[in-house]
Amino acid sequence: MAVSPLIPPPPHEAKVTDTPKKTEVNSTERLLHNQNTIPFFHSTNEREVTEQLNDDVRHKYIKDKRLGEGTYAVVFLGHLRTDPSSFVAIKKIKVNAEYKDGLSMDAIREVKYLQELSHPNIIALHDVFSSKDQNLNLVLEYLPRGDLEMLIKDTDIHYGAADVKAWMGMLARGVWFCHENFVLHRDIKPNNLLIAADGEVKLADFGLARSFADPYLNMTHQVITRWYRPPELLFGARQYSGVVDVWSMGMVFAELLLRVPFIVGNTDLDQIAKICEAFGTPTEDNWPGVTRLPNYLPADANHTLPVQGRDFFLRQFPTAGPVGADLLMSMCTLDPKKRSTACQVLQHGWWSSEPKPTDKKNLPRKTDGIKKMGADLTRRGGDFDDNTTFKNAARQLKFTVARD
Amino acid sequence: MPPVRDAMANRGDDDEVCPVCKSSRYLNPDMQFLINPECYHKMCESCVDRIFSSGPANCPVAGCHKTLRKARFRKQTFEDINVEREVDIRRRVMQILNRREEEFDSKRAWDDFLEQREEIIANLVHGTDVAKTENDLQRYASENVRSIRANQALEVQEASSFKEQQTHEQELARLRREAAKQEYENERRELQASREDVLSRLAAGRPGDAAAIAREGKKVLLKKSSARRSEEDRIRQKQAALRNSDARKAGQTGNTADKADAAGDSGLIKGLKKIVTPEPEKPYDPFGGMVPNKRDYYTLRDFYPSSYLDPIRQDTRMQAGGYDLQEYYSRTLMEAFAGLGCFVDEEVTRRDDGDSLRSSRPVATQGSALAAVSSAGTPDAS
Repeated sequence: MAVSPLIPPPPHEAKVTDTPKKTEVNSTERLLHNQNTIPFFHSTNEREVTEQLNDDVRHKYIKDKRLGEGTYAVVFLGHLRTDPSSFVAIKKIKVNAEYKDGLSMDAIREVKYLQELSHPNIIALHDVFSSKDQNLNLVLEYLPRGDLEMLIKDTDIHYGAADVKAWMGMLARGVWFCHENFVLHRDIKPNNLLIAADGEVKLADFGLARSFADPYLNMTHQVITRWYRPPELLFGARQYSGVVDVWSMGMVFAELLLRVPFIVGNTDLDQIAKICEAFGTPTEDNWPGVTRLPNYLPADANHTLPVQGRDFFLRQFPTAGPVGADLLMSMCTLDPKKRSTACQVLQHGWWSSEPKPTDKKNLPRKTDGIKKMGADLTRRGGDFDDNTTFKNAARQLKFTVARD
Repeated sequence: MPPVRDAMANRGDDDEVCPVCKSSRYLNPDMQFLINPECYHKMCESCVDRIFSSGPANCPVAGCHKTLRKARFRKQTFEDINVEREVDIRRRVMQILNRREEEFDSKRAWDDFLEQREEIIANLVHGTDVAKTENDLQRYASENVRSIRANQALEVQEASSFKEQQTHEQELARLRREAAKQEYENERRELQASREDVLSRLAAGRPGDAAAIAREGKKVLLKKSSARRSEEDRIRQKQAALRNSDARKAGQTGNTADKADAAGDSGLIKGLKKIVTPEPEKPYDPFGGMVPNKRDYYTLRDFYPSSYLDPIRQDTRMQAGGYDLQEYYSRTLMEAFAGLGCFVDEEVTRRDDGDSLRSSRPVATQGSALAAVSSAGTPDAS
């Protein structure tokens, strides 16, 4: 908003502000602005300019129908005023009663981090504007093909190791890009992984994101949906690193392979118990310093399980293959220091091993079956597609094969 | 070839006289005239035998010095020798310029090609720019041997499959006719049989039953004919379904052949579709084209001495939580060097030139994002 507050208001214009309605002023101003003349401002010019810019953005989009509503936001389908075929999703943040004196943290986080990140595997934030009653509206990329959770749960959809590899690749790229720019996502789970029209998986919902690596700044451990939360957060660590997201990725990987969430705890304590059961009990040997963590609960001395080796993962996830099981194991290591980083995940040999990841346009999708069926039903019996390439092209006699 | 036209000018009565040996059909009713596509001069069969049996020789027509071979003499198809010649030329040109409709980008390009081909034919027929046109044609032929051959094969295949389909259809029609005839015959026979049956029963029965017998006979007849009709319907439907599936199969086999040919854009013909040779499959790049750990202006070391950070190195609790000082080093250095090599002006102009939706992206552009990955930093990082 650094538009020349130094330009002095023309004296004769100052009087106009007192009388007319605000909308009129805005419209004249817009007119002048569009004509590329030097805009002249009023006594209250600072506010007017920001309002003006906001209006410009707001009028770029048209809201269509409502797509969904949650406790925190309403999502509308929208499109550009200039181009009705360019869809966007407009996320209108509800005014929250808790935050009387400002915006909710989620909204601030989402805007703050999403506008910094531009990557094919991260949902794009096109614009932000505020509507009438000071509601915050985020103009987001339109991703019409649902999310990974939907695909995992739909028993009619069959997918294989190659598809899982493609999805995981896109997820890992998105997470790696966040971490490379020092943003923790902190809420990776299948229903935050949306699918674009071309099949690309996009990381969405940055409501819990924050930047990291500041040594003397504590972070909260009450983040990440419980089933995807790593043990260090369950033990209450206040300083952690990017590998918390890697654990969540590992859980998503396991869920993609099993088609059910892998570790389903009812409470935080239950979650820890189930993690220990699945991967082994954390001890000072396999995780130095774990007993010093705030919420660490000493395990039952005669019920300690050894840390699971590769065999366990191979047995549990046969579809991943030996290399895939190895990757999953490196993502689900209890000790965060030993866990792979997002970069190391991408450098793993699994990506280059067979099978090759499915091309994103060939990935299983939900609506495809319906479309195919429609095409089949509309075709008439015994009818087949017209073979001529161009309509009304000149007919010609065949001289070449006519004889001999 | 002006002599051809001259020769054709005085056709008519002397049609029946061989221009070479002057023998007429009157004397030799079996006389056959032959022509050679070299010069299209007409002569009788016996002249051809006499002159060319011992090898190639000059055309006996005065003023024509073409060397002719016996093997190329043939009967003429069209009465007008000009038409004969044009058809020959047309056939030859079309054998060379045998591009197909599906090879062109647009209808416009296809039409242009057709027009160009007609022009070439007209040039050759009327003798304008013959040398140049022939030259072009030969060059095209030698450059596109493969596609010409592929298209020829396709055409032959199409012609034969068309013929096959036609005979198939004829066969089906014949079968249908026969079935109809058979049906009619059956119906007639049954009618006859039932009538005889009624008659014999009437003869055997009592006079009082006559009306009842007649009614019964009619009923039986009706029942039979309706049963037959439904049976026929069933058969007919079956046959129709069979025909449809046949037709579909034929259509499919026709389609698969289309993709066979492929060749480059030739100098002569414009607007051909670009041949898309499938790209050799690239190995999967997990990083999606970005380079991990690329730092333009500095190298990241494993350890930086700092009293500010010493307490953290000793804090096992932070270590246990996974906190990694390496990330702190990396971030600090990245932010220190952020913005170097980033030119906001350039990015803004590029952004504004881009399409409307992308232009609305407020901060992050592709360029800044890439720069950020290579740790040069985002333009607005402080």
